[in-house]
This record gives sequence, structure tokens and C-alpha cells, in this order.
Amino acid sequence: MQPGDRIRVTHADVTNEGVLMPSSDSDHLVLKIDGGYNIGISREDADIDILESDVYAVGESGDGSDDSEVSEITFDDDLPTISLISTGGTIASTVDYRTGAVTAQFDAEDVLRAVPELAGRANYRGRVVANILSENMDPSIWQALATAAYEEIEAGADGVVVMHGTDTMQYSAAALSFMLETPVPIVFTGSQRSADRPSSDNVMNAICAVEAAKSDCAEVLVCMHGSENDDYCALHRGTRVRKNHTSRRDAFETIGNKPLGTVTYETAAKAGSQGDVATEGIEFARSYTKRDDATLTLNNELESAVELVKFTPGMDPAAWDYLDGKAGVVIEGTGLGHVHTDLIPRIEALITDGTTVVMTSQCLEGRVCDRVYDTGRDLLDAGVVEAGDTLPGTAKVKLMWALANLDGDSVRDQSAIAAAMGESLAGEITEESQPWR
Amino acid sequence: MSTSEYDYESLGLIAGLEIHQQLDTATKLFCDSPTTIREPDEADRTLTRYLHPTKSELGELDDAALEESRVDREFEYLAYDTTCLVEEDDEPPTEIDSEALSVAMQIASLLDMSVVDQVHVMRKLVIDGSNTSGFQRTVLLGQEGQIETSDGPVSIVDLMLEEESAQRVEERDEGVLYSLDRLGIPLVEIGTGPDITSPQQAKEAAQEIGMLLRSTGAVKRGLGTIRQDVNVSIADGARVEIKGVQDLATIDELVEFEVQRQAELVEIATELTESGASVGETVDVTDIFEDTDSGVIGGALSSGGSVMAVPLFEFDGDVGREIQPDRRLGTEFSDHAKRHGAGGIFHTDELPAYGVTAEEVTALRDKVGAGNDDAVAIVAAETETAELSIEAVKARAETALEGVPEETRGANDDGTTRYLRPLPGAARMYPETDVPPVEPDPSEVPTPELLTEKVDRYQDELGLDAGLAEQVAFGRRMPLFEDAIAAGIDATLAATVLESTLTELRRDGVSVETLTEDHLLSVLFLVDDGELAREGLNDVLAELASNPDLTAEEAIEEAGLAGVGDDEVREIIAGVVERNAEQVADEGMAAFSGLMGECMAELRGKADGETVSSVLREEIGKRS
Repeated sequence: MQPGDRIRVTHADVTNEGVLMPSSDSDHLVLKIDGGYNIGISREDADIDILESDVYAVGESGDGSDDSEVSEITFDDDLPTISLISTGGTIASTVDYRTGAVTAQFDAEDVLRAVPELAGRANYRGRVVANILSENMDPSIWQALATAAYEEIEAGADGVVVMHGTDTMQYSAAALSFMLETPVPIVFTGSQRSADRPSSDNVMNAICAVEAAKSDCAEVLVCMHGSENDDYCALHRGTRVRKNHTSRRDAFETIGNKPLGTVTYETAAKAGSQGDVATEGIEFARSYTKRDDATLTLNNELESAVELVKFTPGMDPAAWDYLDGKAGVVIEGTGLGHVHTDLIPRIEALITDGTTVVMTSQCLEGRVCDRVYDTGRDLLDAGVVEAGDTLPGTAKVKLMWALANLDGDSVRDQSAIAAAMGESLAGEITEESQPWR
Repeated sequence: MSTSEYDYESLGLIAGLEIHQQLDTATKLFCDSPTTIREPDEADRTLTRYLHPTKSELGELDDAALEESRVDREFEYLAYDTTCLVEEDDEPPTEIDSEALSVAMQIASLLDMSVVDQVHVMRKLVIDGSNTSGFQRTVLLGQEGQIETSDGPVSIVDLMLEEESAQRVEERDEGVLYSLDRLGIPLVEIGTGPDITSPQQAKEAAQEIGMLLRSTGAVKRGLGTIRQDVNVSIADGARVEIKGVQDLATIDELVEFEVQRQAELVEIATELTESGASVGETVDVTDIFEDTDSGVIGGALSSGGSVMAVPLFEFDGDVGREIQPDRRLGTEFSDHAKRHGAGGIFHTDELPAYGVTAEEVTALRDKVGAGNDDAVAIVAAETETAELSIEAVKARAETALEGVPEETRGANDDGTTRYLRPLPGAARMYPETDVPPVEPDPSEVPTPELLTEKVDRYQDELGLDAGLAEQVAFGRRMPLFEDAIAAGIDATLAATVLESTLTELRRDGVSVETLTEDHLLSVLFLVDDGELAREGLNDVLAELASNPDLTAEEAIEEAGLAGVGDDEVREIIAGVVERNAEQVADEGMAAFSGLMGECMAELRGKADGETVSSVLREEIGKRS
């Protein structure tokens, strides 16, 4: 008896017929009965007849490869070309109502089938870099992602859309911000509410992301819902964005400022439906790097021995023992950038040993300033580097990148790294603390 | 033909019921919001959403879902301080509410059903916007039950526990407005087998199921909290699903009228086939009505619309034939035209009338090639609407040649029905992966006492008379009555107040609906403890009804009924006796009834009559 068999089960005087589904535990059979409901039936004392074997192919979520349908993607020379790079975020999925299986869709054709509203806006090139949950994202995949984007742009893509799980999207976006000088937009998008529901935010996010990728803003951006309504998406700089809610559609926010731009869904979707750039529906609040201003360059080396540690009251100093020998440490300090004074000698020892120690703040909003209080001054004396208002997560990615790419020779140039951490390389530091407007 | 003349057995009547009942639980099925219904103007947030069923979903969708999906794709939702992110589809659901599961298992037990070993939450695709997620969460909980009726048993096929949908508030050009207060209230859906063979049995089965549901004391009461769908077919007819029956008492009539409709339609089809009837092609007849006196047609034409016609050969007399009280075959055509946006149709069986002249009818017949044995139906509307609508009329007329179409109909208040949409296809369901399966344990759930059993107990053990016992047991305040007697309040007092007194007050125009259970319980306690006189009860309840924010004690103050201490009562009564000292001296105890009136005039509501009378007797006694 296998999942997919049609069976008849009698248990406690009730007889049910249906298709056997994969069970969630060992004590119960899960049966999909004819009305479509699944029910669990205790295996104990159950009489089972197999009526027909293998009625449906009931599997775990597949890999999305479905060869039965021929690709209908045709290239139109008048349309811009957008590269869709997938890392495993399920922006597109289909549901098989006979089996209930939800299958994530990855390649461009599958995405187009799942989000038909994308058709006609651009020519699409599809590429799968990874097929993972975004919590399993790894710096080596950031590198592969940057390489893929580089190759796609070099091959003529007018914009890149990266479909990414939302949990670690901000880290990947920051990584690509440092790794690539790009003449075209690179837009990350995903969905907070699963693509297997008709209410998913995937359709609007994907359309807005494609329209942003066609625009003239040649930066690494995150494009996600700007409010809980399906009205507009916000465009966030990859180095300033943070997921600030576990489940809401508008979880992503630019920290310390308004988003860099907005894409009004209905307006942009309409304006861009025939391949035009949706200038009407896309607006920017500040200046940005224009299309073709930068020359395509890839620097995707990373130093992997970098840790981000958060200081909290009462923490066991032994928790920092594992930092010995790391190339870099980013501290998420309190307030203006502090830790318990007892930890300062520990930090001093790390720095003496050659570790670059960078200070950020768990306040998230505002910049660190270690000249105000004694603790801060002691930290500076110990050699701690201030990262301005760089977000802690972004600072970790930046330090990984800086340690690998700004080394003069084999001897690490501490002062060059320190200088780099204090200046904005990819929009990660706000030059001037102006109030929001 | 009068409906009572039908022989349901020989017509092969088969009916089944689907009953939807909201549960009165503290929280919703998949979140911790209360199950409170709100007024739309209390909303403090709105949100706008689209639903995007993917092409693969739509490609497989049935006619009904497709027809729905074409209408309204943008939806606006009203949110309240009693709704949360789960209703807004911005947070995963909680585990299934244990109270709802427990009540649903009580219902399963009353219906003699087997409870499923492990329930799996499913998502049922619903794309009309009534669920923010685009699906309804539902579980199959019970199977294979049965109820008894005087015409034999009726099987209960299944019992589902599911989320109530959002309430449709308004349909607007830009989309439908829904209210989130109702979304997620636990709802049980009970489906009977197709075992019902007479209108009376349909009503009896519905009443029995209703009684069993109310026996739990945990179901919502009032308009819209229970909805019945009735499936009806006769042997030569077709399965018709009738939605939205609000009133149990009309179910027999509804079934009778549907049998009549199907029998008449079958007869019409037979006659039409015998006479070789057919439906012609649609024709634009706008020119005939250019100078018409008909307000309806003239109105459509003056705003640039058209008049479309379809000839119905050999239909003369049949379009106007009554198939339900005051509903004709033409009404069916009209329903289909309305579904496509027209206001309705005219047909030659009813013309000339409505400002359409005999000359116009003749010209119309000529233009479409219709003779005296033929009928013509026309639609006047904006051109595209007129074209779509006349095609719908044509299609329905063609079905009339075959008999009864399978469809979903809506119940009208008078027991007749109107066309709503095609029958729904198989539900599209897939697992709700956010909620783990649950293994319900029916042995932990008490089987509730039936309302019929309560009536007996209230008489035997609590000493209520038969009428009051039945009123209370079947009344909506039965759970409150049970609470009151459990708290030691006198049963007759509680029953009288909760039934008679409230009915009296309602008749007097007091809005008793605003009285909360807390109000009623605390007033009952005050009377039971002697703090409030029975005579003051109506005034206090009326005060509370108009000022629901008051406590019972405050309402007593407001109503000027603040209790008077025993000393003060005696003082007032002594004063009355003193003023009438002469009469008391003359008449002795015979003066009692006259003085009692005077005392009560001063003390009404502040002290109960019994106290006043005994004190008065004492005071008179002292002097005589």
C-alpha cells in the first residue's frame, strides 16, 4: 500500500473510500475522501482494501520540473530583458487539488505560468541558483548569486529580479550591494504570505519588482509590500532594509528613512504591461545611481571568519570565548555603542590579536558615537571601529566583504578596513542625520 | 394546481438539507478574537486586497466559481478593535479552537455520529473575496449519523467545523466591501442524506436538527446565525440547491413550491416538445420602439441603449404560465437577464401593457417572424447588457424545452425561489499546512441534555408549569436561565423574568436586545435577595436597556427605586396609619385594603407588597 493508492478503510463501523495520502504520523492513515477532505484514521484495528494502485502520483513537493508543457516563452526584440534568478523563495507555486500537493515553481516558465500577469512586460531569462529555505542561506550562495547576476547582466539583461525567501533577504541584498557595481537594477522580491493562497502578496510583489527592474535605478533594491493593502510596493536600498515583522505583508522597512522609492501597483502594472518603463507608477524620494552610470564589476570574495554578537545585560562573558582568532567581529552594542565595562579588556585582547572589532547599535535607528561616555571612549582606545548608522546585519556582511577585498597584501590593512567601515560604500551609512522627510 | 394535490411519492421527491449554524464560543476558530458582531461604522481600519487565483486554478474552475471570479476582483475589508491580523490574512492561524471543537463534538454526539480519529484542516478555495485568504478553513469532524422523524429516520452524512465567511456589506463599482467581524466565527455544517421524501419531513428534520443544535446552549441565536440550504429534486426534474433559508417554519412551503415549479416545468417541456417548439435567433428590434410610450424601454433607448428580442416558436401562453405562486416561466427568463445586468424582460404573453402598444407588439412579431402561436421576449438596456441578457434568456428558453435545469436558487421571503447561479462543482481543497492535525477525544465531551428533556426537568424538578418550561427551554436565554438556577436564584422568578417580563417590556417598546446577560443576572440576584422589589423590576430593566453602561445598582438609583430600609418603611406606613387614625379606630382591620393602596402609592418599587402588607397589619393592630 502506497500513497496514491485508492483504498477502502473500515474502522469503528465507519467505512471510507479515498486516496491514501502521506501520513503525518505512524499511528494514522491519511485518506483524501471524495469530497476533497483529508481525514486521519487510526491504523489500529482498521480493515484496509486496496481498490486500485497508484491512482495519483502523490509525492512530496516536487522540484517544479514539469516537462509535459512546452515553453511558450518567445523573445520580442522590442521588450526589455529581465533575468529572473531564483534561490528557493516560493514566489510561485501550484496546487494539485487531487492530491493537495503544493509545488514550488522555480524556472522562468514556471513562474510565468504561476503569475501570468508577468507576461508581455519583458522578455524573461530564468536561472536557478539554489533551492533552499532562506534561513539556510549561506555566504557561498551570496557569492554564487552575485556571479549569476553578473553573468546575466553581461549577457544583456536590462534588469535582474532575485526571488528570495524573506527571512534572510536583507543579508543577501546587502551582500550583492557590496559585491557588484551594476549598470542595471537588481531587485530582490519574495512573498510573506505563501504563494499557494489566492491572497498571496507574490503577484503584486513580482510585478512591481519586474517594473522596478525595468526602471533607471541601477541599485540593489528590495521590493516588497509598502502597506497591508495591495496598493504599492516600497523600494528599499539593499543595505538599509530590515524585516521588521514576522508575518505582515509590509514587514520590510528602510531603517532611519523613508524607502528609497515606491511602485504604485495599478499604475505601474498598467504602464508597464506592454514593455514600457513604468515611469508614472514609480517614484523615488531621494537621488540614486542611474542606469549605465556604473561599469559592471564583480568582487565577490568574502572573509568567512566574521561574527555578529549582541551584547545583553547579564550575558556570560564566556559566550565570547569563541571569538578568538576570528578575522572580524561586529558587536551589536547598546545605545550609542556600548558593552559592559568588564568586557572591554576582552575586546582589547581580540584587537591586539588582529581581529577587527566593529561597533553597531541594537537601537537600529541612529548612529553609534563612542566619544560621549567613558565606556565608549575606552572602547575607542581599545581600537574598536565605529560603523556609523550601519545596520548590524549589514555591518557583518560589509566586514566579511571588506576583509576579503580591501586587503592590500597578505598583511591585513587594519586602517583601510577601519576607514571603509566608517564610510558609505553602497548606501549603508547615512551621511547626515537629517530628520525624515 | 394547488400544491397540496401533488403526490410526492409518485413524483419521486427527494430532498436533503444542509444546515449551517454559528457557534457561540468565546473566540474564533483560528484566532483569539471574540465572536462579536459589529456595526460597519464601528470599523477603525480598512484594507484593500486583490485575489489572484492562478491560471491553473481558474482553468479547472467550474462554471459557478468562474462566474463569481468575473465579478469583483478587488475587495475592501472593514477591521475593528475586535479583529486581528489573522482575519486580515497577515498572520498564521492559531491551532483549532478547543471550545469550538468540543461544542462540535457535542453536536456530533447528539446526531449519533462517529467522530473522525484525526481531523485535518483543509483549505477550500473561495475566490469571491468573502475570505481574505482566498480559501475557507474547514475540517470534516463527524460521519454517519442519524435523526428520527415521524416519517422515518434521516441519515446525517457529515458534520464539518469551519470558518464563517466575512459579511458582505456593500457592492460598489470598485469592488465588494466586506466586514471582518464575522470572518472566522466557528460554523458547523451538517449535511443530511437525500432521504427526505415530503415537505413536512423536510421541515421536521430541520426543526429536529435545530433543536439538537440549541440543546448545546452554545450556538449563536438570531437572524443570520443559522442558515439552511435545501436540495430538492423530483424524478423527472433536476437537483436544485436552494440557498439562504432563514426561517425554519417555511421549509415545507419552500419544498412544496419547488416541487410545483419542477412539475410545471416538466409539463411545459412535454407540451412544448409535442408542439414542436423551438427558440429562434436574437434580433435587434430597437427601431420598433423609437417613439415608444413605455417608460422602461424609452429610458433605455434615450441613454443610447438597444432593444433585443428572441422569438420563441410555439411558446404562446407558456411564457406567462404560472409555475410558482406569482412566478411564471417568464420570471425565470427575467432572472437570467437580471444576472447579466438587465432590469428584466417583457414578453408577448403579458403585452400590450406597461406602455407598449398593440401596434408595437404586432410590429415586433412581424420583425422576428413570430406568428400567433409564438411568443417573443425582449430586453431593453445598454446595448452590450441587452445583448448579453437576451442571449441568457435564449439559453434559458432552450432549457425549457428539456425540462428543469440543475442550478443554485435563492429563497425568497414568500417561499418561492429565484435563479442565483449554476450548481457549484467539486470543491477545490488542499491541506492547511499552518495548522497541525488534531485527534479529538469525544469521550471527554459531555452529551448535552436535549431541550425536550429540559422541558420535562423544568416541570418535574423546578416546578415550572408546562408552558413556561417549554418557553424557557426553547428560548434563546436558556443558557442564562441555567446559569441563574445554578447560582441559586428561584426558578420561577428566573423563568418569569427571562420570558414573560422581557416579552412584556419588548411590547412596551423597550429595546431588550441591549440588555446583557450580566444585567439580567444581577437584577435577578437583587430581586432574589430582596434588595429590589418585584414591582420595581420592569422599571430597572427598562432603565438598563436605555443606559446599558449602568450597573443594576446604578439603574435602581436612576429609576428612583433605591431600596428603603425596614425602619423607613415602618415609618412611612406608621405615618399613613397616623393620618388615618380616625378610620383605623372606627373600622379596625377593615381599614386595611384602603390604607394598603395609600401605602403602596408611597412605596411602590421601594419595598415589596408583602412587606408593606405585613407591616401595615402590625401598625393597624397596634391601634385597634
